[in-house]
Amino acid sequence: MRELTFTQAINEALVEEMERDSSVFVMGEDVAAFGGVFGVTKGLHETFGDRRVFDTPLSETLIVGAAVGAAITGLRPVAELQYSDFLGIAMDEMYNKAAKWKFMHGGRLNVPMVVRAPEGAKGGAGAEHSQSPGGLFQSAFGMYVLMPTNPADAKGLLKSAIRDDNPVLFLEHKALYSKRGPVPDGEHLVPIGVAATPRRGDDVTIVAWGNLVPRSLQAADALADEGIDVEVIDPRGIRPLDIDTILASVEKTGRLVLVHEAPGAGGPGAEVAAVVADRMIDVLEAPVLRVTTPDTYFPQSVHLERLMLPGVTEIADAVRKVMR
Amino acid sequence: MATIDDVGLSMYREMVRGQAAEQWILRLIDGGEALVLYHSARGQEGVAVGSIAPLRRSDYMFYVHRGVGQLLAKGIDPVELFGDVLANTAGSTRGLGAGIVHVVDPSVGVLGQSGTVGGTFPLAAGAALSAKYRDSGQVVLCMFGDGTANRGTFHESANAAGAWKLPVVWLCENNGYAVSVPQSASTPVADLATRAAGYGMPGVIVDGQDAIAVYEAVDTAVRRAREGEGPTFIEAKTVRFRGHFEGDPQSYRGDADTAALERDPITLLADRLIEAGLATDASLAALAAEADREMERAVDVARAAPVPDRSRLFEGILA
Repeated sequence: MRELTFTQAINEALVEEMERDSSVFVMGEDVAAFGGVFGVTKGLHETFGDRRVFDTPLSETLIVGAAVGAAITGLRPVAELQYSDFLGIAMDEMYNKAAKWKFMHGGRLNVPMVVRAPEGAKGGAGAEHSQSPGGLFQSAFGMYVLMPTNPADAKGLLKSAIRDDNPVLFLEHKALYSKRGPVPDGEHLVPIGVAATPRRGDDVTIVAWGNLVPRSLQAADALADEGIDVEVIDPRGIRPLDIDTILASVEKTGRLVLVHEAPGAGGPGAEVAAVVADRMIDVLEAPVLRVTTPDTYFPQSVHLERLMLPGVTEIADAVRKVMR
Repeated sequence: MATIDDVGLSMYREMVRGQAAEQWILRLIDGGEALVLYHSARGQEGVAVGSIAPLRRSDYMFYVHRGVGQLLAKGIDPVELFGDVLANTAGSTRGLGAGIVHVVDPSVGVLGQSGTVGGTFPLAAGAALSAKYRDSGQVVLCMFGDGTANRGTFHESANAAGAWKLPVVWLCENNGYAVSVPQSASTPVADLATRAAGYGMPGVIVDGQDAIAVYEAVDTAVRRAREGEGPTFIEAKTVRFRGHFEGDPQSYRGDADTAALERDPITLLADRLIEAGLATDASLAALAAEADREMERAVDVARAAPVPDRSRLFEGILA
């Protein structure tokens, strides 16, 4: 199987969906000739022209709100926010318009749109350019929040997102953009709302999101040498959450460690911990642990930023703790 | 350009339909049948009707919460309107709504309303972007009040609409009050239309009590939009005859408003129709009576529908 970077995989998904469906278009700040600040939309403008790939004013409210307006009138916009932190600027458009317009109006209007937004810390971008805001949307019942963790999922999930009739927030971790991985040839779709289990194991369940999935797999490899058999589940997003896969794994292992870059408070792990406690407290053989960034903000200093991010050591330590 | 000869009578008919519908809504509220907060459109019929008349059925419209007249004029079925007022399954939202706030019908271009006022500005820009993208020839009419004009969403949307020459008409129904706050206390300019220059579009001020004048201004803007020349900002100066909502004591209103309350857009249009020899007192009274009968029939049909059960809470969240 050929290997692509995460960036190439997303770009390929955009190209294929634009070729397939003339109602798909791309808009955002610097996405046209410049190719996007992270280079994801490179070449699209050359291929598809001004009509289908265009730069917007520096107006996040407009970008997300106009995507809603275009979606309810028959198009399939793929809007890019330069950083997922900017969702806060367009919160009304995302949380109240994209997620609720269908419901509020009796179910009579579909909102088939995707907002792509890079998330996560990489390289000292500071407190307002490094966050993982997916957890903010756990109560956005009318939209999906997807978080691919490898190039194959990035391509397959984005293609599914563009074809879906619901609004999708598509979070791409900046540290993953340059990572390479196998991507199937030809049509490749990954269904929305189905967790991946990239590693099977019997002793402990790790549920990890985003950039911490690869680190959790590394930790699992290290723990295998100590005789601890770890199962790693990648929910591929926050909404919809494939809770059945998680519950089945915890039923088997009796131990759960939740790993994500968002802070513990308001992060996706909090909801999973609560559901597991509610549904199978009698199965648990140890307290549920979370490995997250601490309750502070990302500094601009790269040195301090490194100290914020959970590493393989922290993840492995948490697993050893639940095994005691 | 159409004249009073062409559109006067049909606009009058829409005015009295809107007024009749409002009166039935108020009766349903007074009788305890409709448990809704209602924002009366009385006094602003000239804007409602004058702005919808130049539109085609396929054109899009984002209305305001004082929007009973424009909803009916755009083609919303009165039964669906009253169903929404009664919060039952006859409503356009099949019992989810209560009042006229989220009335919707994409088949007549009514794309809904935002609960956060001013939330429709970017959606209107997006719908206009969509019309241009699809080369559909559709125009978007986005209505809002003078208070809402101060939302930041307006700036971002008007700026993009101006830059991209989007087919959208921004129609400000300026009744002078944002709930209780007079425009002078919140806004540094007397004429909101002056803001249009900053977005590279014409800014037009029109007498909102004069339905024909509103028609002409909107018709010009719609033609301009359809021909690819971009957006227009129209400020219709109007008067809110009743409170912000039913039950509003209006203690904030000054004496200066009293004179303005005498310029009733319905009477003004009636006088012009009679002067032009297009109608008589009797023929106009007959139109009003017919509108009342139409709305009464619609209320009766809507009343017969059941309220939704609990499952309705979970329908329409996702496609």
